[in-house]
Amino acid sequence: MKTKRLTLITLLALGALLISACSGRSTVANSWHGLSADAERAYVSAGSLIYAVDLKNGSEVWRYPAKVDANILFFANPVLTADGQLLIGSAGSKNHEFISLDPATGKEKWAKVFTGAKGAWVAPPLVLNETIYAPNTDGFLYILDMSGSQIADPIEIGGALWSAPVTDGTLIYLSSLDHHVHVIDPAARTAQAAIDLGGAIPSSPAINSDGAYVSSFASTIEFVKANNKHEVITKTESRVWGSPVLDGETLYYADLNGKVYSFDLASGKMNWSVLPDGPVAASLLIVGNQIYVASEADPTSKLGTLIALDREGKTVWSKEVGGKLYTTPVASADLILVAPYQADFTLAAYDADGKQAWTFTPAK
Amino acid sequence: MWEQFIIQPMTNLLLFIYDLLGHGPHTFGFAIILFTIVVRLITWPLNASQVKGAQAMQELQNDKEWQDIQKKYAKDKEKIAQEQMRIYKERGINPFASCLPTLIQFPIIIGLYQSIIRALSVMPLDMLKLARTIYPFQNVEGIIPLNSKFLWMNLGSPESVHILGYAVPTLAVVVALTTYVQSKLTMPATSNPNDQGAQMSGMMSIYMPLMLGWFALNFASGIAIYFITSNALGIIQYAATGRANWSNLLPGGNKKPTTSKKK
Repeated sequence: MKTKRLTLITLLALGALLISACSGRSTVANSWHGLSADAERAYVSAGSLIYAVDLKNGSEVWRYPAKVDANILFFANPVLTADGQLLIGSAGSKNHEFISLDPATGKEKWAKVFTGAKGAWVAPPLVLNETIYAPNTDGFLYILDMSGSQIADPIEIGGALWSAPVTDGTLIYLSSLDHHVHVIDPAARTAQAAIDLGGAIPSSPAINSDGAYVSSFASTIEFVKANNKHEVITKTESRVWGSPVLDGETLYYADLNGKVYSFDLASGKMNWSVLPDGPVAASLLIVGNQIYVASEADPTSKLGTLIALDREGKTVWSKEVGGKLYTTPVASADLILVAPYQADFTLAAYDADGKQAWTFTPAK
Repeated sequence: MWEQFIIQPMTNLLLFIYDLLGHGPHTFGFAIILFTIVVRLITWPLNASQVKGAQAMQELQNDKEWQDIQKKYAKDKEKIAQEQMRIYKERGINPFASCLPTLIQFPIIIGLYQSIIRALSVMPLDMLKLARTIYPFQNVEGIIPLNSKFLWMNLGSPESVHILGYAVPTLAVVVALTTYVQSKLTMPATSNPNDQGAQMSGMMSIYMPLMLGWFALNFASGIAIYFITSNALGIIQYAATGRANWSNLLPGGNKKPTTSKKK
């Protein structure tokens, strides 16, 4: 009987283990890395840790926190501020912490960590006029001063907020998964318009002086004005995850099928569209004459691939990076930085000719 | 295989029901309840045959031949086991009949858990996967993102209610209770404390409520909704046969006086 009891307990334990292994708790779900850079260092948020990496040679400058806590997870792009702070919130379950670090040392800068949000931090914040606007997955936009104190009631937006707010200097545009672009007046600290685009919007708008260009799961690119007016300027073949990129009178964007588009805003006509590789979730990066595309996974090798296109949409070079590429590439110090997910390394740097300068693998 | 044949169909069925219900607040909870009913209907014949098997086990406890074997080989446990197996074989009875319906739920539980987490898309990677999971005929633009609120719960997170400053996991308690009631009702009454099938069922009625309660305590509350609905339907299904052993719910209620009823 003892054997049967043991067998039963083992079977039940295996079942429990299987379910636990299938997926963790909702609060510790994985996501891809966040990435930003200044002239000297790249900052990568990768799960429980944030790394500062020297752009000269790819060596680690510091990591935060010193002691890993599985309930603190960083996925958002860290944001550098003009007064020398590195801002990021945790997507983990512990207190929903929003912190400020010293970019040079990785030490916490605020006397008190902000823990007033009810949800995970997936979106990076916006700093405007020495005020931090931090969107949270609980559907609120939190307003803090530069020392992390809440200076006003949060603005209720609705829907989970996954993308950074953007500003034209006067108004703030904030995309939400609730299908709306919300226009916020920072002076009045109120939402003055909410424009329904018919699909979830996981990324930030591209902004100009007249309004914002917004991509969404409705497979459209829309132009949104602060007065609630909006129009579809073009349709895409598939849903769009990344932000459109505005370069002069041309709008560049890519869809989840992997198609990359160049759209002329002046004439309202498509310049070109190409399918250079696999699906694209990241936003495009434009540096000089090249458009960098982070393809999630090459259809054949299944590996994330960085592609450089020229302004006509022709492939200049293509490099298999490894892992999967979801994070938008970042340019700094003549390097293109990519942070692959589930790769052997956390960060890789390429020059404009596609030559790999270095990779960064965190020491255990 | 798992992705294609379990996760995708389950997620799509859940989303289809969710869309059918109007994808407003609280509807994902109702979608899980309806989904559970659909799963129960699909597995009805299987459950019915297990219920029948459990009833046969219950009747066996009062069978003359069965009881004679217990007496005759009282000091030879191996022989009792051999004879019991012979009778099981002869009469086409599965001794684990009351445990199997619960064990069969495992792949459904795992699939449902993954489907709920994917459907609720707590993190961007989940949503990206969800966008690729949804069949083309579904109203993707309309239903993503799902509304995770149901009554007082967030279906993507473990549930608890704050009472006097303490977080009380009410759903976990209800899951454990309903699992206990279901196991006890389907447990055959026995006059023989050495009966192995009954002992296994007895152990299951203790471990399963604890384990499922632990799941409900630690995982997305959507899975607890599934457990409670499934348990309630199981209790109803068994009670409908008129053979539910309600006395099992009372302490010491699992023992039946030895009778010499002949089959």
